[in-house]
Amino acid sequence: MNRFQFRTEMIRSELEDIVGQHFVSVDESDKLVYSTDWSWMPQMWLDRGQPLPTPDYIVHPESAEQIAEIMDIANKYRIPVVPWGGGSGTQGGALPLFGGILVDTKRMDKIIEIDEVSLKVTAQAGINGEQLEWALHEKGLMLPHYAAASRCATLGGYLAPRGTGTISTKYGKAEDMVLNMQVVLPTGEIIRTAPVPQHAAGPDWPRLFLGAEGTFGIITEATMQLDYLPEARLLRAVLFDDLSKALEAGRRIMTRRLHPFVIRLYDPESTRSQVKKVLGLDYEGAYMVMGFDGDPDIAALEEQKALAICTELGGQDVGREPGETWWEHRYDFYYPPLSLHLPWMYGTTETVTTYDKIEPLYWAVKRAVEEGFPQWNIRFIAHFSHWFHWGVMCYSRFIIEEPPADAQEALQLHNRVWQAAMQAVIDNGGMINEHHGIGVKLGRYMRQQYGDAWPFMLRLKKMIDPNGIMNPGKVGFGF
Amino acid sequence: MSLDNAVLTTDNCRYCLMCRHVCPVGHVTRLETLTPHGWGLLISSVQRGLATWTDSAVDKLYSCADCGTCQSHCVTDQPLPAAIAEARADVAAAGLAPAHVVALNQTIERWGNPYREQEPEAVSGTGDVALFVGDEALYLWPDGLQAALSLLRAAGIDPVLIGAGRNSGYIPSSLGFPETARRLAAANLADLQASQATMLLTLNPGDAYVFGTLYSERLGIDFPANVELKEVTALLAERLAAGDLKLRRGAGGPPYAYIDPAHTSRMAGRDAAPRQLLAAVMPAPGRELFWRRERTHPAGSTSLRFANPMIAEHLTYARLGDARAAGAQVLICEDAGTLNVLASLAPRFGLTIQGLYELLAEQLEGTQGN
Ligand SMILES: Cc1cc2nc3c(=O)[nH]c(=O)nc-3n(C[C@H](O)[C@H](O)[C@H](O)COP(=O)(O)OP(=O)(O)OC[C@H]3O[C@@H](n4cnc5c(N)ncnc54)[C@H](O)[C@@H]3O)c2cc1C
Ligand code: SF4
Ligand code: SF4
Repeated sequence: MNRFQFRTEMIRSELEDIVGQHFVSVDESDKLVYSTDWSWMPQMWLDRGQPLPTPDYIVHPESAEQIAEIMDIANKYRIPVVPWGGGSGTQGGALPLFGGILVDTKRMDKIIEIDEVSLKVTAQAGINGEQLEWALHEKGLMLPHYAAASRCATLGGYLAPRGTGTISTKYGKAEDMVLNMQVVLPTGEIIRTAPVPQHAAGPDWPRLFLGAEGTFGIITEATMQLDYLPEARLLRAVLFDDLSKALEAGRRIMTRRLHPFVIRLYDPESTRSQVKKVLGLDYEGAYMVMGFDGDPDIAALEEQKALAICTELGGQDVGREPGETWWEHRYDFYYPPLSLHLPWMYGTTETVTTYDKIEPLYWAVKRAVEEGFPQWNIRFIAHFSHWFHWGVMCYSRFIIEEPPADAQEALQLHNRVWQAAMQAVIDNGGMINEHHGIGVKLGRYMRQQYGDAWPFMLRLKKMIDPNGIMNPGKVGFGF
Repeated sequence: MSLDNAVLTTDNCRYCLMCRHVCPVGHVTRLETLTPHGWGLLISSVQRGLATWTDSAVDKLYSCADCGTCQSHCVTDQPLPAAIAEARADVAAAGLAPAHVVALNQTIERWGNPYREQEPEAVSGTGDVALFVGDEALYLWPDGLQAALSLLRAAGIDPVLIGAGRNSGYIPSSLGFPETARRLAAANLADLQASQATMLLTLNPGDAYVFGTLYSERLGIDFPANVELKEVTALLAERLAAGDLKLRRGAGGPPYAYIDPAHTSRMAGRDAAPRQLLAAVMPAPGRELFWRRERTHPAGSTSLRFANPMIAEHLTYARLGDARAAGAQVLICEDAGTLNVLASLAPRFGLTIQGLYELLAEQLEGTQGN
């Protein structure tokens, strides 16, 4: 036995002492499966027959206390701890790039309390989103974070990268629904944030854990605000021949005190390709779905007002059915082979900005991608799906159907396309991401994104995680 | 299913996470490897030379319950369970299947079933309607079979019994022995032909799935086009609605729940009939389990009870826990395999297991002809 094997066995038995033998795996097939999340890079790598870095240990704790003890071990041996929820992240946030202890939170899946008076649920962070939703439905309630990933993601995974769901336009991002959280810090302390988020007892430090993607600790429990299931959901589609007018219609709806739960505007290229392929709707122009929910009379009135705005801007009301089709099939886009799939190359270069900048930003990214890589027959598609009072998110994607076969060459090209898109985003006042997070893919843009504030964030990281054990290589915090 | 199709399916599933929330094995083990995506990635990685069929990888391959819930929740209908069975067949052909599974297949080859060293019974005669008895109803829960026959007779049907004591073919097919499965399928269909029936009844959704889908999808054997396939519960519910079956309402009792049997998700809409029948005899509505209807989880009775008894037992515990959480004291089902596994552990949960057919037969009022 060499000294590495000795150390490996030592750590393994210490982990087993904490969670039990059955909940620590060093099995090769488990390591393989946990070596990739839902990001293109590792998936492509495996697709081309290349092995990936794997975790040394896959651990399934059942409590915050067990995670605290795991942190102690990681600090003692100076090895990474990588939180893993559903592994559905698209930015490589859960990749065990440097081995170490991968903490799968899925055993922590209990619903602790459903409060039907204040409309809140307290649950452990490893609970599956859809299973939580079903449990809430039994009581006529919903957690209005309707992410396309809810079938695969966990509650902790909703919060860690600041996710946004399909009905965010009315109900907000996942982070807007959090009342409080329990977090295990990298130092092993278990802390709880204040019971409610809106108060004046000092700075809003709990938000540090939202968007930290596991680099500041592991969220083990969260209390989330709920809503009653709406009495009605009215959906409708409008077709615009001009994307610019459609964007303006969305802006007016949002700023004139109407409250759609969804506005989803597909650009003409997306309408022609994705909408046709998945929904079977054959339209030219920009297809926009809008939805109003709640009291049927109020919803109908708001819908009528929104429709008037659209018509005034040249939008053609194509009726309820194409809107309802989208709602019923809104997740179908993610089922292979309907979804983007290997051996293709693709990336979601989504961004968010204010209304005054959104259109130039869209065109700048589109140009940077399409004009930068014509030799690869690159395609650029986009939709605008999360609308705020001040601006909108642009969910843009590039697709190359015949990328280089060689894994390394493919990765280099992928990075070049991303670089072109992100530079256009930054130059045009966009954020490098709205809801998928930074992970490993976008880390290199954090300094540029934050400028003078970045060293402050690095100091924060050092203070919270002095030994740098938490999810190294992510969110731009280096290794 | 051809190997090419299996490759295509696992290539689709390897990076898809869209049905993991309904996978019972993923749910009880919480292990990413034991989810549809995990199995897809494992199989496709072996095909790409990134993994080999070590003992532990084979053990993982044999941990899927072959319950079909993934496929029935798949928008693009990927036949992942069949692809997993295909991968198991490759492994078995290479001599790498687990020893206990190989031994089980030998038992099935010899006796036609894994439960009793006894030859299957001959077809009981001829008639318009045949009932596939199989092995579980005969050996694991015989009272249910007798009760189902009483109910059918009360509804004016006296079926010819076929395949009594013989597995449908599901178990060997699921465990990677398609040839054994083919032989059983051929024998069962020969029985059906000998019975001259134009309707084949099954006692549970699993058998209906095997005759209606598995034979053609996995074994390349077509179910006769001139024979109507129906579950006993569906037929009884029809007869009840038509007034041809009379059931008395029972007296009050402890809170109960109906547990949807394994393979329910494979038979869209089949969950209604048992509930209609129960509604006719029970004095109060039942509780509903969390994992119910099209998202039901098997109770550990599928091929998994042989392939990986430990995970199968986890599933049994999970279902009993589900029933207790729903406040039920009595758990009702018509499927012999489900009843059998639940009964062994139910006392630990303070639960009573009750066969649906027996419960209905006790409430028979009288008979009425066709
Ligand atoms: C089909 C599909 C559709 C998607 N649609 C959406 C969508 O509509 N909206 C959206 O916002 N995203 C979407 N995503 C992206 C992604 O699924 C989400 O970000 C999701 O919320 C991640 O959850 P997870 O549990 O899978 O996290 P993981 O992928 O396991 O982890 C994501 C990151 O969070 C960290 N992390 C996980 N759990 C914890 C925890 N308890 N504490 C601290 N850190 C943790 C990980 O280390 C990693 O950095 C989609 C992904 C897929 C595959
Ligand atoms: S069966 Fe369908 S939903 Fe499930 S993993 Fe495969 S492709 Fe995805
Ligand atoms: S057949 Fe059942 S156990 Fe197997 S992958 Fe599908 S859902 Fe999971």
